[in-house]
Amino acid sequence: MIQVFNVVKMYDGSNPVLDNISLEISKGEFVFLTGPSGAGKTTILKILFGWESFETGQVLVQGINVGKLTHRNVYTLRRSMGFVFQDYKLLPNKTVFENVSFAQEVIGHDQKKIRFKTWEALKNVGLTPKKDAYPAYLSGGEQQRIAIARAMVNSPAIILADEPTGNLDPDIAIEILKLFEELNQKGSTIIFATHSQEIMKAGNHRVINLNRGKVVSS
Amino acid sequence: MQTLISGYRTTLSNILSNKQTFLLSVATITIAISILGLFLLLFFNLNGLLSSWNREEQVIVYLDDDISSSQKENLEDIFSNNQQVESTIEVSRETAWAEFQSNVSDNLKPLLSLEFNPLPASYKIRFRSSDNRLSHIREFSKILETQQGVESIEYGEEWISRFEKFMVFSKIFLFAIGGLLSLGLILIISNTIRLSIYSRQDEIELMLLIGATPRFVKIPFLLEGMIQGLAGSVLALFIIGGVHYYLKSKFQSSIDAMGMDFQFIAEPFLFGLIGLSVLVGFMASYISTFQFLYLLNKK
Ligand SMILES: Nc1ncnc2c1ncn2[C@@H]1O[C@H](COP(=O)(O)OP(=O)(O)OP(=O)(O)O)[C@@H](O)[C@H]1O
Ligand SMILES: [Mg+2]
Repeated sequence: MIQVFNVVKMYDGSNPVLDNISLEISKGEFVFLTGPSGAGKTTILKILFGWESFETGQVLVQGINVGKLTHRNVYTLRRSMGFVFQDYKLLPNKTVFENVSFAQEVIGHDQKKIRFKTWEALKNVGLTPKKDAYPAYLSGGEQQRIAIARAMVNSPAIILADEPTGNLDPDIAIEILKLFEELNQKGSTIIFATHSQEIMKAGNHRVINLNRGKVVSS
Repeated sequence: MQTLISGYRTTLSNILSNKQTFLLSVATITIAISILGLFLLLFFNLNGLLSSWNREEQVIVYLDDDISSSQKENLEDIFSNNQQVESTIEVSRETAWAEFQSNVSDNLKPLLSLEFNPLPASYKIRFRSSDNRLSHIREFSKILETQQGVESIEYGEEWISRFEKFMVFSKIFLFAIGGLLSLGLILIISNTIRLSIYSRQDEIELMLLIGATPRFVKIPFLLEGMIQGLAGSVLALFIIGGVHYYLKSKFQSSIDAMGMDFQFIAEPFLFGLIGLSVLVGFMASYISTFQFLYLLNKK
Protein backbone atom coordinates (compact mmCIF):
# COMPACT_ATOMS: atom_id res chain seq x y z
CA MET A 1 0.00 0.00 0.00
CA ILE A 2 2.81 2.42 0.88
CA GLN A 3 6.24 1.97 -0.66
CA VAL A 4 9.19 4.30 -0.26
CA PHE A 5 12.36 3.56 -2.26
CA ASN A 6 15.68 5.31 -1.68
CA VAL A 7 14.20 8.71 -0.95
CA VAL A 8 16.57 11.60 -0.36
CA LYS A 9 15.17 14.89 0.90
CA MET A 10 17.16 18.07 1.41
CA TYR A 11 15.58 21.35 2.49
CA ASP A 12 18.71 23.40 1.92
CA GLY A 13 20.27 21.55 -1.00
CA SER A 14 23.17 20.02 0.87
CA ASN A 15 22.25 18.33 4.17
CA PRO A 16 19.88 15.43 3.66
CA VAL A 17 16.99 15.37 6.15
CA LEU A 18 15.98 12.00 4.75
CA ASP A 19 19.02 10.03 3.71
CA ASN A 20 18.21 7.32 1.21
CA ILE A 21 15.19 6.02 3.09
CA SER A 22 13.24 2.92 2.04
CA LEU A 23 10.24 1.41 3.78
CA GLU A 24 7.15 -0.56 3.06
CA ILE A 25 3.82 -0.56 4.89
CA SER A 26 1.07 -2.95 3.89
CA LYS A 27 -2.66 -2.42 3.72
CA GLY A 28 -4.35 -2.49 7.10
CA GLU A 29 -1.10 -2.17 9.05
CA PHE A 30 -0.61 -0.03 12.15
CA VAL A 31 2.92 1.30 12.54
CA PHE A 32 4.58 3.64 14.97
CA LEU A 33 7.08 6.10 13.54
CA THR A 34 9.52 7.24 16.16
CA GLY A 35 12.90 8.85 16.63
CA PRO A 36 14.43 11.91 18.24
CA SER A 37 13.32 15.41 17.44
CA GLY A 38 14.58 16.42 14.00
CA ALA A 39 14.90 12.82 12.83
CA GLY A 40 12.61 13.48 9.88
CA LYS A 41 9.27 12.00 11.04
CA THR A 42 7.16 14.94 9.97
CA THR A 43 9.11 15.23 6.75
CA ILE A 44 8.39 11.67 5.69
CA LEU A 45 4.69 12.00 6.53
CA LYS A 46 4.55 15.18 4.45
CA ILE A 47 6.19 13.39 1.54
CA LEU A 48 3.65 10.57 1.72
CA PHE A 49 0.92 13.24 1.64
CA GLY A 50 2.30 14.95 -1.49
CA TRP A 51 2.99 18.04 0.58
CA GLU A 52 6.76 18.12 0.34
CA SER A 53 8.89 17.33 -2.69
CA PHE A 54 11.98 15.10 -2.61
CA GLU A 55 15.22 15.01 -4.52
CA THR A 56 15.56 11.37 -5.55
CA GLY A 57 13.74 8.09 -5.06
CA GLN A 58 10.24 6.78 -5.59
CA VAL A 59 7.13 6.97 -3.43
CA LEU A 60 4.07 4.89 -4.20
CA VAL A 61 0.88 5.28 -2.17
CA GLN A 62 -2.06 3.10 -3.18
CA GLY A 63 -0.50 2.74 -6.60
CA ILE A 64 -0.15 6.50 -7.04
CA ASN A 65 3.32 7.73 -7.97
CA VAL A 66 3.47 10.61 -5.51
CA GLY A 67 6.52 12.28 -7.07
CA LYS A 68 4.60 12.71 -10.33
CA LEU A 69 1.62 14.53 -8.82
CA THR A 70 1.09 18.21 -9.53
CA HIS A 71 -0.85 20.76 -7.50
CA ARG A 72 -3.75 20.17 -9.89
CA ASN A 73 -4.23 16.47 -9.10
CA VAL A 74 -2.62 15.99 -5.69
CA TYR A 75 -6.12 16.17 -4.19
CA THR A 76 -6.84 12.69 -5.53
CA LEU A 77 -4.13 11.36 -3.19
CA ARG A 78 -5.15 13.50 -0.23
CA ARG A 79 -8.80 12.50 -0.37
CA SER A 80 -7.84 8.96 0.53
CA MET A 81 -5.77 10.14 3.49
CA GLY A 82 -6.35 11.83 6.80
CA PHE A 83 -3.55 13.90 8.30
CA VAL A 84 -3.39 14.86 11.97
CA PHE A 85 -1.09 17.88 11.84
CA GLN A 86 1.50 18.33 14.54
CA ASP A 87 0.37 21.97 14.88
CA TYR A 88 -3.34 21.03 14.45
CA LYS A 89 -4.08 23.66 11.76
CA LEU A 90 -7.51 24.53 13.12
CA LEU A 91 -9.38 27.51 11.72
CA PRO A 92 -9.83 30.06 14.53
CA ASN A 93 -13.01 31.60 13.10
CA LYS A 94 -14.86 28.30 12.89
CA THR A 95 -16.43 26.34 15.72
CA VAL A 96 -15.35 22.84 16.64
CA PHE A 97 -18.25 21.43 14.63
CA GLU A 98 -17.45 23.62 11.63
CA ASN A 99 -13.77 22.76 11.72
CA VAL A 100 -14.63 19.10 11.36
CA SER A 101 -17.45 19.47 8.84
CA PHE A 102 -15.18 21.70 6.76
CA ALA A 103 -13.10 18.68 5.80
CA GLN A 104 -16.15 17.18 4.14
CA GLU A 105 -17.42 20.37 2.58
CA VAL A 106 -14.21 20.92 0.65
CA ILE A 107 -14.59 17.55 -1.02
CA GLY A 108 -18.22 18.23 -1.85
CA HIS A 109 -20.29 15.93 0.36
CA ASP A 110 -23.94 16.78 0.87
CA GLN A 111 -25.07 18.59 3.99
CA LYS A 112 -27.02 15.75 5.58
CA LYS A 113 -24.15 13.33 5.37
CA ILE A 114 -21.80 16.02 6.66
CA ARG A 115 -23.85 16.65 9.82
CA PHE A 116 -24.13 12.97 10.58
CA LYS A 117 -20.47 12.13 10.05
CA THR A 118 -19.27 15.20 11.93
CA TRP A 119 -21.43 14.31 14.88
CA GLU A 120 -20.09 10.77 14.86
CA ALA A 121 -16.45 11.90 14.69
CA LEU A 122 -16.92 14.37 17.54
CA LYS A 123 -18.53 11.65 19.63
CA ASN A 124 -15.53 9.40 19.01
CA VAL A 125 -13.10 11.96 20.38
CA GLY A 126 -15.47 12.98 23.19
CA LEU A 127 -15.97 16.57 22.07
CA THR A 128 -19.73 16.76 21.52
CA PRO A 129 -20.27 19.01 24.55
CA LYS A 130 -17.87 21.55 23.05
CA LYS A 131 -19.11 21.42 19.50
CA ASP A 132 -20.06 25.11 19.36
CA ALA A 133 -16.92 26.45 21.00
CA TYR A 134 -14.12 28.17 19.12
CA PRO A 135 -10.67 26.50 19.20
CA ALA A 136 -9.04 29.40 21.01
CA TYR A 137 -11.22 28.67 24.06
CA LEU A 138 -10.20 25.03 24.26
CA SER A 139 -7.22 23.33 25.89
CA GLY A 140 -4.31 22.01 23.83
CA GLY A 141 -5.56 18.48 24.26
CA GLU A 142 -9.06 19.38 23.14
CA GLN A 143 -7.69 21.16 20.09
CA GLN A 144 -5.66 18.09 19.28
CA ARG A 145 -8.81 15.99 19.43
CA ILE A 146 -10.54 18.30 16.94
CA ALA A 147 -7.62 17.72 14.59
CA ILE A 148 -8.03 13.96 15.07
CA ALA A 149 -11.78 14.12 14.47
CA ARG A 150 -11.18 16.08 11.29
CA ALA A 151 -8.61 13.58 10.02
CA MET A 152 -10.90 10.60 10.56
CA VAL A 153 -14.22 12.10 9.51
CA ASN A 154 -13.96 10.98 5.89
CA SER A 155 -13.04 7.41 6.88
CA PRO A 156 -9.81 7.59 4.90
CA ALA A 157 -7.91 4.51 3.77
CA ILE A 158 -4.73 5.87 5.34
CA ILE A 159 -4.31 8.04 8.41
CA LEU A 160 -1.05 9.89 8.97
CA ALA A 161 -0.94 11.07 12.57
CA ASP A 162 1.89 13.41 13.49
CA GLU A 163 2.24 13.18 17.29
CA PRO A 164 -1.51 13.08 17.84
CA THR A 165 -1.11 12.52 21.56
CA GLY A 166 1.77 14.92 22.15
CA ASN A 167 -0.38 17.25 24.20
CA LEU A 168 -2.59 14.81 26.03
CA ASP A 169 -2.61 13.34 29.53
CA PRO A 170 -1.39 9.74 29.54
CA ASP A 171 -4.92 8.45 30.21
CA ILE A 172 -6.47 10.35 27.35
CA ALA A 173 -3.47 9.53 25.18
CA ILE A 174 -4.15 5.83 25.62
CA GLU A 175 -7.79 6.40 24.78
CA ILE A 176 -6.85 8.22 21.61
CA LEU A 177 -4.51 5.36 20.76
CA LYS A 178 -7.48 2.99 21.19
CA LEU A 179 -9.47 5.20 18.84
CA PHE A 180 -6.80 4.85 16.16
CA GLU A 181 -6.72 1.13 16.77
CA GLU A 182 -10.47 0.98 16.24
CA LEU A 183 -10.10 2.87 12.97
CA ASN A 184 -7.38 0.38 12.11
CA GLN A 185 -9.81 -2.47 12.87
CA LYS A 186 -12.28 -0.90 10.47
CA GLY A 187 -9.66 -1.08 7.74
CA SER A 188 -7.63 2.15 7.83
CA THR A 189 -3.87 1.88 7.50
CA ILE A 190 -2.27 3.96 10.23
CA ILE A 191 1.11 5.63 10.61
CA PHE A 192 1.41 7.07 14.07
CA ALA A 193 4.40 9.31 14.75
CA THR A 194 5.24 9.55 18.44
CA HIS A 195 8.00 10.09 20.96
CA SER A 196 6.19 8.32 23.72
CA GLN A 197 7.55 4.98 24.93
CA GLU A 198 4.37 4.46 26.93
CA ILE A 199 2.17 4.75 23.87
CA MET A 200 4.38 2.38 21.94
CA LYS A 201 4.26 -0.09 24.78
CA ALA A 202 0.49 0.20 25.11
CA GLY A 203 -0.05 -0.62 21.48
CA ASN A 204 1.72 -3.69 20.25
CA HIS A 205 2.59 -2.60 16.72
CA ARG A 206 5.54 -2.45 14.37
CA VAL A 207 7.89 0.43 15.18
CA ILE A 208 9.89 2.26 12.53
CA ASN A 209 12.76 4.03 14.22
CA LEU A 210 14.31 7.00 12.45
CA ASN A 211 17.50 8.78 13.31
CA ARG A 212 19.11 11.58 11.32
CA GLY A 213 17.07 10.71 8.29
CA LYS A 214 17.88 7.01 8.27
CA VAL A 215 15.79 4.02 9.29
CA VAL A 216 17.59 2.59 12.34
CA SER A 217 15.24 -0.29 12.96
CA SER A 218 11.96 -1.46 11.60
CA MET B 1 -23.36 22.10 -8.37
CA GLN B 2 -22.54 21.42 -4.73
CA THR B 3 -19.27 23.25 -5.40
CA LEU B 4 -21.14 26.26 -6.70
CA ILE B 5 -23.55 26.38 -3.79
CA SER B 6 -20.90 26.18 -1.12
CA GLY B 7 -18.73 28.50 -3.21
CA TYR B 8 -21.54 31.00 -3.19
CA ARG B 9 -21.78 30.84 0.58
CA THR B 10 -18.07 31.39 0.94
CA THR B 11 -18.34 34.34 -1.44
CA LEU B 12 -21.05 35.92 0.69
CA SER B 13 -19.05 35.56 3.85
CA ASN B 14 -15.94 36.92 2.07
CA ILE B 15 -17.91 39.96 1.03
CA LEU B 16 -19.39 40.47 4.47
CA SER B 17 -16.05 40.19 6.20
CA ASN B 18 -14.41 42.64 3.76
CA LYS B 19 -17.38 44.94 3.27
CA GLN B 20 -15.36 48.09 2.95
CA THR B 21 -13.00 46.94 0.23
CA PHE B 22 -15.90 45.32 -1.57
CA LEU B 23 -17.91 48.54 -1.59
CA LEU B 24 -14.89 50.57 -2.64
CA SER B 25 -14.29 48.23 -5.51
CA VAL B 26 -17.94 48.32 -6.58
CA ALA B 27 -17.90 52.13 -6.43
CA THR B 28 -14.83 52.23 -8.65
CA ILE B 29 -16.50 49.97 -11.17
CA THR B 30 -19.65 52.08 -11.04
CA ILE B 31 -17.68 55.23 -11.81
CA ALA B 32 -15.71 53.66 -14.64
CA ILE B 33 -18.72 52.03 -16.28
CA SER B 34 -20.71 55.26 -15.89
CA ILE B 35 -18.02 57.16 -17.75
CA LEU B 36 -18.01 54.61 -20.52
CA GLY B 37 -21.81 54.56 -20.57
CA LEU B 38 -22.09 58.34 -20.80
CA PHE B 39 -19.74 58.35 -23.75
CA LEU B 40 -21.88 55.64 -25.32
CA LEU B 41 -24.96 57.77 -24.72
CA LEU B 42 -23.27 60.72 -26.39
CA PHE B 43 -22.16 58.55 -29.29
CA PHE B 44 -25.63 57.16 -29.82
CA ASN B 45 -27.25 60.55 -29.89
CA LEU B 46 -24.66 62.17 -32.13
CA ASN B 47 -25.04 59.23 -34.45
CA GLY B 48 -28.81 59.65 -34.41
CA LEU B 49 -28.55 63.39 -34.91
CA LEU B 50 -26.12 63.18 -37.78
CA SER B 51 -28.05 60.43 -39.52
CA SER B 52 -31.22 62.43 -39.27
CA TRP B 53 -29.55 65.40 -40.93
CA ASN B 54 -28.26 63.02 -43.45
CA ARG B 55 -31.73 61.66 -44.14
CA GLU B 56 -32.34 64.44 -46.62
CA GLU B 57 -29.36 63.37 -48.59
CA GLN B 58 -30.11 62.50 -52.20
CA VAL B 59 -28.29 61.92 -55.41
CA ILE B 60 -28.87 64.30 -58.28
CA VAL B 61 -28.01 62.93 -61.71
CA TYR B 62 -27.54 65.73 -64.23
CA LEU B 63 -28.18 64.73 -67.80
CA ASP B 64 -26.52 65.75 -71.05
CA ASP B 65 -28.74 68.12 -73.00
CA ASP B 66 -28.63 65.81 -75.99
CA ILE B 67 -29.41 62.59 -74.12
CA SER B 68 -31.22 60.04 -76.28
CA SER B 69 -34.40 58.34 -75.14
CA SER B 70 -32.75 54.89 -75.12
CA GLN B 71 -30.03 56.26 -72.85
CA LYS B 72 -32.76 57.62 -70.61
CA GLU B 73 -34.49 54.26 -70.55
CA ASN B 74 -31.25 52.60 -69.63
CA LEU B 75 -30.84 54.98 -66.69
CA GLU B 76 -34.40 54.41 -65.52
CA ASP B 77 -33.79 50.66 -65.67
CA ILE B 78 -30.78 51.06 -63.44
CA PHE B 79 -32.84 53.05 -60.95
CA SER B 80 -35.71 50.62 -60.84
CA ASN B 81 -33.42 47.60 -60.54
CA ASN B 82 -31.69 48.96 -57.50
CA GLN B 83 -33.33 47.73 -54.30
CA GLN B 84 -32.06 50.68 -52.31
CA VAL B 85 -33.69 53.34 -54.41
CA GLU B 86 -36.82 54.65 -52.78
CA SER B 87 -38.03 57.14 -55.32
CA THR B 88 -36.93 58.97 -58.42
CA ILE B 89 -38.19 62.31 -59.62
CA GLU B 90 -37.47 63.49 -63.10
CA VAL B 91 -36.84 67.21 -63.39
CA SER B 92 -36.96 68.54 -66.92
CA ARG B 93 -34.90 71.53 -68.03
CA GLU B 94 -38.03 73.69 -68.08
CA THR B 95 -39.11 72.76 -64.59
CA ALA B 96 -35.60 73.35 -63.31
CA TRP B 97 -35.55 76.78 -64.90
CA ALA B 98 -38.96 77.66 -63.53
CA GLU B 99 -37.94 76.55 -60.03
CA PHE B 100 -34.77 78.56 -60.32
CA GLN B 101 -36.63 81.64 -61.39
CA SER B 102 -39.00 81.46 -58.49
CA ASN B 103 -36.28 80.84 -55.94
CA VAL B 104 -33.62 83.21 -57.10
CA SER B 105 -32.63 86.07 -54.86
CA ASP B 106 -32.65 89.71 -55.78
CA ASN B 107 -28.97 90.19 -56.47
CA LEU B 108 -29.01 87.32 -58.92
CA LYS B 109 -32.00 88.74 -60.79
CA PRO B 110 -29.85 89.81 -63.81
CA LEU B 111 -29.46 86.12 -64.60
CA LEU B 112 -33.12 85.95 -65.33
CA SER B 113 -32.65 88.04 -68.41
CA LEU B 114 -30.71 85.23 -70.03
CA GLU B 115 -32.14 84.29 -73.32
CA PHE B 116 -31.56 80.62 -73.01
CA ASN B 117 -32.08 78.04 -70.28
CA PRO B 118 -28.65 77.11 -68.82
CA LEU B 119 -29.91 74.37 -66.54
CA PRO B 120 -29.67 70.66 -67.34
CA ALA B 121 -32.43 68.14 -66.85
CA SER B 122 -31.91 65.83 -63.87
CA TYR B 123 -33.14 62.93 -61.78
CA LYS B 124 -33.44 63.34 -58.05
CA ILE B 125 -33.01 60.01 -56.36
CA ARG B 126 -33.87 59.18 -52.76
CA PHE B 127 -32.60 56.12 -51.01
CA ARG B 128 -34.20 53.92 -48.46
CA SER B 129 -32.75 54.49 -45.02
CA SER B 130 -30.49 51.69 -43.94
CA ASP B 131 -27.28 51.38 -42.02
CA ASN B 132 -25.18 51.19 -45.16
CA ARG B 133 -27.01 53.88 -47.05
CA LEU B 134 -23.87 55.95 -47.39
CA SER B 135 -21.90 53.23 -49.04
CA HIS B 136 -24.86 52.34 -51.26
CA ILE B 137 -25.01 55.90 -52.46
CA ARG B 138 -21.32 55.91 -53.18
CA GLU B 139 -21.43 52.64 -55.09
CA PHE B 140 -24.48 53.70 -57.03
CA SER B 141 -22.86 56.94 -58.07
CA LYS B 142 -19.82 55.09 -59.37
CA ILE B 143 -22.05 53.02 -61.65
CA LEU B 144 -23.99 56.04 -62.92
CA GLU B 145 -20.89 58.05 -63.70
CA THR B 146 -19.93 55.61 -66.42
CA GLN B 147 -23.32 55.67 -68.13
CA GLN B 148 -23.93 57.39 -71.48
CA GLY B 149 -25.92 60.59 -71.28
CA VAL B 150 -24.94 61.44 -67.72
CA GLU B 151 -23.26 64.79 -67.43
CA SER B 152 -22.40 64.74 -63.76
CA ILE B 153 -23.51 63.44 -60.41
CA GLU B 154 -23.90 65.38 -57.26
CA TYR B 155 -24.24 64.15 -53.75
CA GLY B 156 -22.93 65.32 -50.42
CA GLU B 157 -19.73 63.39 -50.77
CA GLU B 158 -17.71 65.60 -48.55
CA TRP B 159 -20.36 65.65 -45.91
CA ILE B 160 -20.78 61.90 -46.09
CA SER B 161 -17.11 61.16 -45.79
CA ARG B 162 -16.77 63.57 -42.91
CA PHE B 163 -19.64 61.87 -41.21
CA GLU B 164 -18.11 58.48 -41.78
CA LYS B 165 -14.76 59.64 -40.49
CA PHE B 166 -16.42 60.98 -37.43
CA MET B 167 -18.12 57.66 -36.80
CA VAL B 168 -14.83 55.78 -37.20
CA PHE B 169 -13.14 58.23 -34.89
CA SER B 170 -15.88 57.86 -32.27
CA LYS B 171 -15.69 54.09 -32.43
CA ILE B 172 -11.93 54.10 -31.95
CA PHE B 173 -12.35 56.61 -29.16
CA LEU B 174 -14.96 54.45 -27.42
CA PHE B 175 -12.82 51.35 -27.78
CA ALA B 176 -9.80 53.16 -26.41
CA ILE B 177 -11.73 54.55 -23.44
CA GLY B 178 -13.36 51.17 -22.86
CA GLY B 179 -10.04 49.37 -23.08
CA LEU B 180 -8.24 51.73 -20.74
CA LEU B 181 -11.04 51.75 -18.19
CA SER B 182 -11.24 47.94 -18.30
CA LEU B 183 -7.52 47.67 -17.76
CA GLY B 184 -7.69 50.05 -14.81
CA LEU B 185 -10.62 48.12 -13.37
CA ILE B 186 -8.80 44.83 -13.72
CA LEU B 187 -5.89 46.24 -11.74
CA ILE B 188 -8.14 47.60 -9.02
CA ILE B 189 -10.45 44.60 -8.70
CA SER B 190 -7.60 42.12 -8.74
CA ASN B 191 -6.15 44.01 -5.83
CA THR B 192 -9.40 43.80 -3.88
CA ILE B 193 -9.65 40.11 -4.59
CA ARG B 194 -6.05 39.67 -3.54
CA LEU B 195 -6.89 41.21 -0.17
CA SER B 196 -9.84 38.89 0.11
CA ILE B 197 -7.61 35.90 -0.68
CA TYR B 198 -4.92 36.87 1.78
CA SER B 199 -7.46 37.34 4.54
CA ARG B 200 -8.26 33.65 4.01
CA GLN B 201 -4.78 32.41 3.28
CA ASP B 202 -4.62 29.88 6.13
CA GLU B 203 -8.00 28.54 5.26
CA ILE B 204 -7.10 28.12 1.60
CA GLU B 205 -3.85 26.35 2.43
CA LEU B 206 -5.73 24.02 4.73
CA MET B 207 -8.44 23.39 2.13
CA LEU B 208 -5.84 22.31 -0.39
CA LEU B 209 -4.18 20.11 2.24
CA ILE B 210 -7.37 18.27 3.07
CA GLY B 211 -8.25 17.48 -0.51
CA ALA B 212 -9.99 20.47 -2.08
CA THR B 213 -9.48 20.88 -5.81
CA PRO B 214 -7.85 24.12 -6.95
CA ARG B 215 -11.10 24.87 -8.75
CA PHE B 216 -13.08 24.58 -5.53
CA VAL B 217 -10.71 27.08 -3.94
CA LYS B 218 -10.92 29.49 -6.86
CA ILE B 219 -14.67 29.55 -7.42
CA PRO B 220 -15.67 31.75 -4.47
CA PHE B 221 -13.17 34.40 -5.51
CA LEU B 222 -14.16 34.25 -9.16
CA LEU B 223 -17.77 34.69 -8.06
CA GLU B 224 -16.74 37.60 -5.86
CA GLY B 225 -15.08 39.36 -8.79
CA MET B 226 -18.06 38.75 -11.03
CA ILE B 227 -20.50 39.97 -8.40
CA GLN B 228 -18.47 43.16 -8.04
CA GLY B 229 -18.63 43.63 -11.80
CA LEU B 230 -22.35 42.96 -11.89
CA ALA B 231 -23.18 45.24 -8.96
CA GLY B 232 -20.95 48.03 -10.27
CA SER B 233 -22.39 47.95 -13.78
CA VAL B 234 -26.01 47.78 -12.66
CA LEU B 235 -25.46 50.81 -10.42
CA ALA B 236 -23.75 52.55 -13.33
CA LEU B 237 -26.77 51.91 -15.55
CA PHE B 238 -28.97 53.59 -12.96
CA ILE B 239 -26.65 56.58 -12.99
CA ILE B 240 -26.61 56.77 -16.77
CA GLY B 241 -30.38 56.34 -16.82
CA GLY B 242 -30.69 59.15 -14.31
CA VAL B 243 -28.49 61.48 -16.35
CA HIS B 244 -30.48 60.62 -19.46
CA TYR B 245 -33.77 61.28 -17.72
CA TYR B 246 -32.53 64.60 -16.34
CA LEU B 247 -31.20 65.84 -19.67
CA LYS B 248 -34.28 64.71 -21.49
CA SER B 249 -36.71 66.46 -19.16
CA LYS B 250 -34.55 69.56 -18.99
CA PHE B 251 -34.03 69.98 -22.73
CA GLN B 252 -37.20 68.31 -23.98
CA SER B 253 -38.53 71.36 -25.81
CA SER B 254 -35.38 72.17 -27.73
CA ILE B 255 -34.94 68.53 -28.65
CA ASP B 256 -38.49 68.39 -29.93
CA ALA B 257 -37.90 71.55 -31.88
CA MET B 258 -35.04 69.86 -33.71
CA GLY B 259 -37.47 67.13 -34.64
CA MET B 260 -35.50 64.38 -33.01
CA ASP B 261 -35.51 62.06 -30.08
CA PHE B 262 -33.02 61.93 -27.22
CA GLN B 263 -32.29 58.22 -27.28
CA PHE B 264 -31.07 55.95 -24.52
CA ILE B 265 -28.28 53.45 -25.13
CA ALA B 266 -29.59 50.58 -27.25
CA GLU B 267 -30.39 47.40 -25.37
CA PRO B 268 -27.63 45.19 -26.77
CA PHE B 269 -25.11 47.78 -25.65
CA LEU B 270 -26.62 47.92 -22.16
CA PHE B 271 -26.17 44.18 -21.85
CA GLY B 272 -22.76 44.66 -23.40
CA LEU B 273 -21.78 47.06 -20.63
CA ILE B 274 -22.93 44.62 -17.95
CA GLY B 275 -21.20 41.76 -19.73
CA LEU B 276 -17.98 43.72 -20.04
CA SER B 277 -18.05 44.59 -16.37
CA VAL B 278 -18.70 41.01 -15.27
CA LEU B 279 -15.97 39.79 -17.60
CA VAL B 280 -13.56 42.35 -16.19
CA GLY B 281 -14.44 41.16 -12.66
CA PHE B 282 -13.87 37.58 -13.69
CA MET B 283 -10.52 38.27 -15.32
CA ALA B 284 -9.32 40.31 -12.37
CA SER B 285 -10.15 37.61 -9.85
CA TYR B 286 -8.79 34.94 -12.15
CA ILE B 287 -5.47 36.75 -12.24
CA SER B 288 -5.36 37.07 -8.44
CA THR B 289 -6.28 33.47 -7.70
CA PHE B 290 -3.92 32.20 -10.36
CA GLN B 291 -1.10 34.28 -8.94
CA PHE B 292 -1.83 33.20 -5.39
CA LEU B 293 -1.94 29.49 -6.20
CA TYR B 294 1.18 29.84 -8.32
CA LEU B 295 3.14 31.40 -5.47
CA LEU B 296 1.75 28.88 -3.02
CA ASN B 297 2.93 25.97 -5.13
CA LYS B 298 6.32 27.47 -5.80
CA LYS B 299 6.93 27.73 -2.08
N1 LIG C 1 10.47 23.68 6.03
C1 LIG C 1 11.71 23.37 6.44
N2 LIG C 1 12.76 24.05 5.99
C2 LIG C 1 14.02 23.76 6.36
N3 LIG C 1 14.32 22.76 7.20
C3 LIG C 1 13.31 22.02 7.69
C4 LIG C 1 11.96 22.29 7.33
N4 LIG C 1 11.16 21.39 7.96
C5 LIG C 1 11.99 20.61 8.69
N5 LIG C 1 13.28 20.98 8.53
C6 LIG C 1 14.44 20.32 9.13
O1 LIG C 1 14.37 18.96 8.79
C7 LIG C 1 14.74 18.16 9.89
C8 LIG C 1 13.66 17.13 10.17
O2 LIG C 1 12.50 17.82 10.55
P1 LIG C 1 11.15 17.05 10.91
O3 LIG C 1 10.13 18.09 11.19
O4 LIG C 1 10.87 16.06 9.85
O5 LIG C 1 11.56 16.31 12.23
P2 LIG C 1 10.65 15.50 13.24
O6 LIG C 1 11.23 14.14 13.30
O7 LIG C 1 9.24 15.61 12.85
O8 LIG C 1 10.90 16.28 14.57
P3 LIG C 1 9.91 16.54 15.81
O9 LIG C 1 9.88 15.30 16.61
O10 LIG C 1 10.54 17.67 16.56
O11 LIG C 1 8.60 16.89 15.23
C9 LIG C 1 14.99 19.10 11.05
O12 LIG C 1 16.39 19.26 11.18
C10 LIG C 1 14.35 20.39 10.63
O13 LIG C 1 15.12 21.49 11.10
MG1 LIG D 1 7.59 16.49 13.63
